[in-house]
Amino acid sequence: MAAPVNIQTPSKTWELSLYELHRSPQEAIMDGTEVAVSPRSLHSELMCPICLDMLKNTMTTKECLHRFCSDCIVTALRSGNKECPTCRKKLVSRRSLRRDSNFDALISKIYPSRDEYEAHQRRVLERLNRLHNKEALSSSIEEGLRQQARYRSERNHRVKKPTQESDNTTFSGGEDNGDTRSHLSHDSAPSHTPHPQGQTPSEAGPSRKRPRASDDGSVAEADSASPTPPARRHKEGPASEIELVFRPHPQLVHEHDYNQTRYVKTTANATVDHLSKYLALRIALEDGRTDRETEDRGGRGEEGGGDTGGTVATGGGGGGGGGGEGSSLSNISEKQYTIYIMTRGGQFPTLNGSLTLELVNEKYWKVRKPLELYYAPTKDQQQQQQQQQQQQQQKASPPSQREG
Amino acid sequence: MASQNMDPAAASSTAALKGNTSGTTSAKGSVTKRLQQELMTLMMSGDKGISAFPESDNLFKWRGTIEGPRGTVYEGLQFRLSLEFPGGYPYRAPDVKFVTPCFHPNVDEQGFICLDILKDKWSALYDVRSILLSIQSLLGEPNNESPLNPTAAELWDNQEGESHGIYKGTRIDLWHHQGFLL
Repeated sequence: MAAPVNIQTPSKTWELSLYELHRSPQEAIMDGTEVAVSPRSLHSELMCPICLDMLKNTMTTKECLHRFCSDCIVTALRSGNKECPTCRKKLVSRRSLRRDSNFDALISKIYPSRDEYEAHQRRVLERLNRLHNKEALSSSIEEGLRQQARYRSERNHRVKKPTQESDNTTFSGGEDNGDTRSHLSHDSAPSHTPHPQGQTPSEAGPSRKRPRASDDGSVAEADSASPTPPARRHKEGPASEIELVFRPHPQLVHEHDYNQTRYVKTTANATVDHLSKYLALRIALEDGRTDRETEDRGGRGEEGGGDTGGTVATGGGGGGGGGGEGSSLSNISEKQYTIYIMTRGGQFPTLNGSLTLELVNEKYWKVRKPLELYYAPTKDQQQQQQQQQQQQQQKASPPSQREG
Repeated sequence: MASQNMDPAAASSTAALKGNTSGTTSAKGSVTKRLQQELMTLMMSGDKGISAFPESDNLFKWRGTIEGPRGTVYEGLQFRLSLEFPGGYPYRAPDVKFVTPCFHPNVDEQGFICLDILKDKWSALYDVRSILLSIQSLLGEPNNESPLNPTAAELWDNQEGESHGIYKGTRIDLWHHQGFLL
């Protein structure tokens, strides 16, 4: 392999390589000068060309001076031609080799801890192995998807409408909560999303499971009325996402009613109706939650855990907050709230419910920052809304005093 | 050199050692380690015109690709090869075969390659990279003394005998044969 360049000169009886012909003696460094050499450049010098690993018990061929691990060269001589693996020079037997303990000493000087070096080597190879192991990768993706699908179907069967609705559109609403905005990438979903959901039954007392079960009836009804066919859920795939900043309508909503700015991240194919229904749900849940918080402060610690889980699990809060307002949740509809967008002229045109957020983004927004939308209770629903609120205000403190 | 790149003894020992079923674990480990090292260097080196990757989980079976060398009748063609490593690798040569049919003096219809370094001239220092590079250069410089494919050798000799004008004709003939074989 390492074929030397042959220079045919009659006066010489041996062949010199180009390097050997041109090299000039180098002055030995006698002062304290340090020369930095990267281990990588040394690697080829310290490596056994047979096992491609660092030389171990170095053996050098007596005639051609090529180095190998003792084990490697012995095996090579036993199993192959009796020649130097590097240059094919005849190697009669082991006697054509000599032990090179100086070289071993050099190596142990450079790499004092061979174990450490080997561990590092192993890590590198393992990483490579994982990389090359396409099959393992694809199977783990498949497994993830399967789990995701399983959790979804579980939720569809067992969990009430809120979760399901948010599942449809992958809403991940957080109210002024920074870290709830940074999730729901496609592959984090299987590991994180189902987790709080799956854990809830064991963590939460039976009091929380019961209302869920009692809601099953309404789920079935809601399912048939759901605007999104259930099959779509499984095809979600890596649909593009849209970030929203969602504020109360500055003119139509009184400040003390809902002063929250909501950050929502969802798929681009969700419609304005989806968003509005989600909003109705969130508000209903929050109201319900305040009810419960004021009712029993004793269970708050546990409740807090449930809540964070809920936000991350995109509406799993429905499980956490699903205390006593099952009836009010079942008449949530996308008609309760109207979504507006602010134009440059300061107008607030109403958005049609069937528009997808992607379209809204293209038509009205265009700039590359989160879409800003405004919401207010729909006019003809407002009465009903107010009634509800009066009821709630009898029990709870006004929402404006809550912090996101 | 007329024999194919496979001697029966090697083939049977390969069959016994390949896969994850047999072979001493330590030997197995060192072979795996060496193959991993080779894979890493291949991926890092970014050689033009050759590539190789394990077929699946089994590190002992690789798929290689070589591009026909420039200025030869094989220019612009891509050939796929299979490489199977015996448990005694690198002390024993891997079995290398063309998967893409290759009309060449030293390649037969089953894809077997007649190349000395894959047989008696094997050295433990050869690796996947050097094998693929050797086969690539074999494409442009066949050994017509002991051809596996006499038709191809004859065609090649005619091309050599006459001058450059024949190149195109040979190329068309070759393409014809390639197409025929495909």
